[in-house]
Amino acid sequence: MADTGIPLGPAKFEVEGLDLWYGQTQALKKVSLKVAANSITALIGPSGCGKSTFLRVLDRMNDLIDNVRIEGLVKYEGDDIFGDVDVIELRKKIGMVFQKPNPFPMSVFDNVAYGPRVHGLHTRSAAERRALVELVERSLVNAALFDEVKDRLHKSALGLSGGQQQRLCIARVLAVEPDVLLMDEPTSALDPISTAKIETLLDELKVRYTIVIVTHNMQQAGRVSDTTGFFLHGELVEFASTKEIFFNPKDERTENYISGRFG
Amino acid sequence: MRDSRDIGARVGGAAHRARLRSQNLAFGTIRAFSYLTIVILALILGFILVRGFRYSNATRSTVLPYAEAAPDGLCLVVNREANLDSIEFPMLYGMFTDEYINWSKITADDFDLLPVAVDDHGSVAGATAAFLFGAGQEAQWGRLVKKVGDVATALATVDSTPGAAAIVPSAALASARASGMYKRVKSASVRRLSLAVNDDVMAIVDNKSVEDLDDRAIARLASGEIANWKELGGPDLALRLLPPASGSSLAAAVASAGFRVGAPRPSSQGGAALAQADTVSSTSGAVAFLFAADAISAQIQTLTRSGTSTGWNLTFAYLVEPPRLSGRVGGISTIILNTFFMLVLTVLFAAPIGIAAAVYMVEYARQGTLIRILRLGTETLAGIPSIIFGLFGYLFFVSILHFGFGLLSGCLTLTLMILPTIVRTSEEALKSVSPALREGSLALGATKLQTIFRVVVPAAAPGILTGLILGVGRAVGETAALLFTMGSDYKLANGLFSSARALSSHIYLLFAEGISFDRAFSTATVLIIIVLAFNFGARRLIGRMESRS
Repeated sequence: MADTGIPLGPAKFEVEGLDLWYGQTQALKKVSLKVAANSITALIGPSGCGKSTFLRVLDRMNDLIDNVRIEGLVKYEGDDIFGDVDVIELRKKIGMVFQKPNPFPMSVFDNVAYGPRVHGLHTRSAAERRALVELVERSLVNAALFDEVKDRLHKSALGLSGGQQQRLCIARVLAVEPDVLLMDEPTSALDPISTAKIETLLDELKVRYTIVIVTHNMQQAGRVSDTTGFFLHGELVEFASTKEIFFNPKDERTENYISGRFG
Repeated sequence: MRDSRDIGARVGGAAHRARLRSQNLAFGTIRAFSYLTIVILALILGFILVRGFRYSNATRSTVLPYAEAAPDGLCLVVNREANLDSIEFPMLYGMFTDEYINWSKITADDFDLLPVAVDDHGSVAGATAAFLFGAGQEAQWGRLVKKVGDVATALATVDSTPGAAAIVPSAALASARASGMYKRVKSASVRRLSLAVNDDVMAIVDNKSVEDLDDRAIARLASGEIANWKELGGPDLALRLLPPASGSSLAAAVASAGFRVGAPRPSSQGGAALAQADTVSSTSGAVAFLFAADAISAQIQTLTRSGTSTGWNLTFAYLVEPPRLSGRVGGISTIILNTFFMLVLTVLFAAPIGIAAAVYMVEYARQGTLIRILRLGTETLAGIPSIIFGLFGYLFFVSILHFGFGLLSGCLTLTLMILPTIVRTSEEALKSVSPALREGSLALGATKLQTIFRVVVPAAAPGILTGLILGVGRAVGETAALLFTMGSDYKLANGLFSSARALSSHIYLLFAEGISFDRAFSTATVLIIIVLAFNFGARRLIGRMESRS
């Protein structure tokens, strides 16, 4: 693995020698990388290469699946996430946006307020209620959705368009005030206009958050990310600055993939 | 279909046409069967509803439904409490001859019978005796009859005693009314005109005898159209209609009934016989309108009138009055309320347990052999006949736990019975909630419990509610399991251990104990309406929940 161009500030995540098996099948093989704070890291690769699996390791979403075995070291801000950490606290810090928009079957407002509420935000006094309303509105503004939904905050979120739903899911994550955003192909189910809106949003969010995005779309990786990792068959083939990967790939397989010979 | 036929016509191949024919046949059969289902459903529902709202019964009676005017100036008076507006003479006769001791068989009222006779050793006593026991006959008052000296005392007794009845001159009642006295006395009409016939008319010839007459046959008979008893199914015998003596009270009664009986047809036997007990019994083939009292005293046979009585079966009073006398009279208000108590209690027991079990089976339990066995068990339980649940409920709740026959035992039994349905449907509903929702919630840092109760269960609520409705639908129609466990007291339940009767058990008992077929149907109608309303309401609720979420 090339050690070039690992950029910028201190590392948020440090992954060393990560192996992951689903039953007998090895999905990740000795993956090691560092994710820098306040940057956008893109993970690319063909379907089934393990990039989504890797992303789910970072906030321990693989805990939900039976038969998963993980070996290796994953550190978040220096702490081993499989060690003595509270998974609830971890997921609070590390928000995740999924491939398909998954708003809850409740109102737009309740969707965004869900996170704060489960984390024990009370709404007993008027001041507390006002604080919640402000938090929800701020999150919607930050997710570039507020203007589109301000008149229908209390209507069902399922009535929104796909792009709006996905930005609502981002707002929902932002309302928990996380540190890291993990995004698993967030635009793959969306039309080009919605995709453009979300890409613009990513650029704005990068200032405050560390973003790791899995994408199928190489142009997208090129447009939005600072660092790119290329996965193939569970291996991290190359991990370098995006420019490096796209214009000067070290590995032949990376070059083949970038130039569209497979995948 | 039309398109394919057009193409077939254009292509025009014989094989194609044959294929189309068989296709049409298949479509036609399917459509016919589906229509048949709808027709059968509509038929059942319609029949029960019509039968529940209106009754229509065949009646047979020895008196005609006319002559309720009292041409001899007498009338029957009863207390206002008695549910009596008109009475057939044989029943009135029974009231004054010790056949009845209380009103339950007369009007289903709940008080003792006190027949009152005026014994003034004069005109009123004589007229009353003639009214009841026939003209010129000895009075044969029953031992229950209270004899009073004058009409005023009789009216006062009736006024003060709910179960009293007396025969008094209409004029006396009218004058008492005019002076504002005896406000609690009301008069009831007496149907006492019957068609008396000579014995030879009723003889059985070739296994046949005169049929019961409907109103048309009676009208034809009265107008003299019928010349021979053969026409009415009787023996080959000339029919001789004897007219009432003109100016008699009998003539007035016949006229007020709308019949005009003229002079008798000239006959070989000669003589213009009049309608009297003795002439009827001495004249071959004779028939005459007679007061039932005279016919009874002279032991003359009477023709039977057959008819149908119709009326409202399901009335407002039926819904709001409590039942009395095993449901023979009164309404079903307490039974409706008991049914609601039962449903509420059953849902209170079954919903939390059922939903919790489903949540456990879907969200927590390891999907292994144990869960498979559990699932098989619930499915088997769902198919077990309810009477077996009833037996179990009787043994376990009523006997072993000493809950006795009551709401609690019944509702617990019903809970056991509907739990499998609720668990299975809730399970399916929970399973159908997208895993993406669970992941979304967990990724926000919610705990599993928070995810289940704030996201998964609300998202599955329409499905869970459907399961509850199915379960409640089964519970509301349940009879067998309740008879052994909830008891059958039709009074309003006043506690968990109070025996209570539900609508379905009421229907069963009304029918099985032969109390009232009509009432069974009107109760069934109420039950159907409740079930339909419940289903409709729940569906609306589910629809609203689905559109909101």
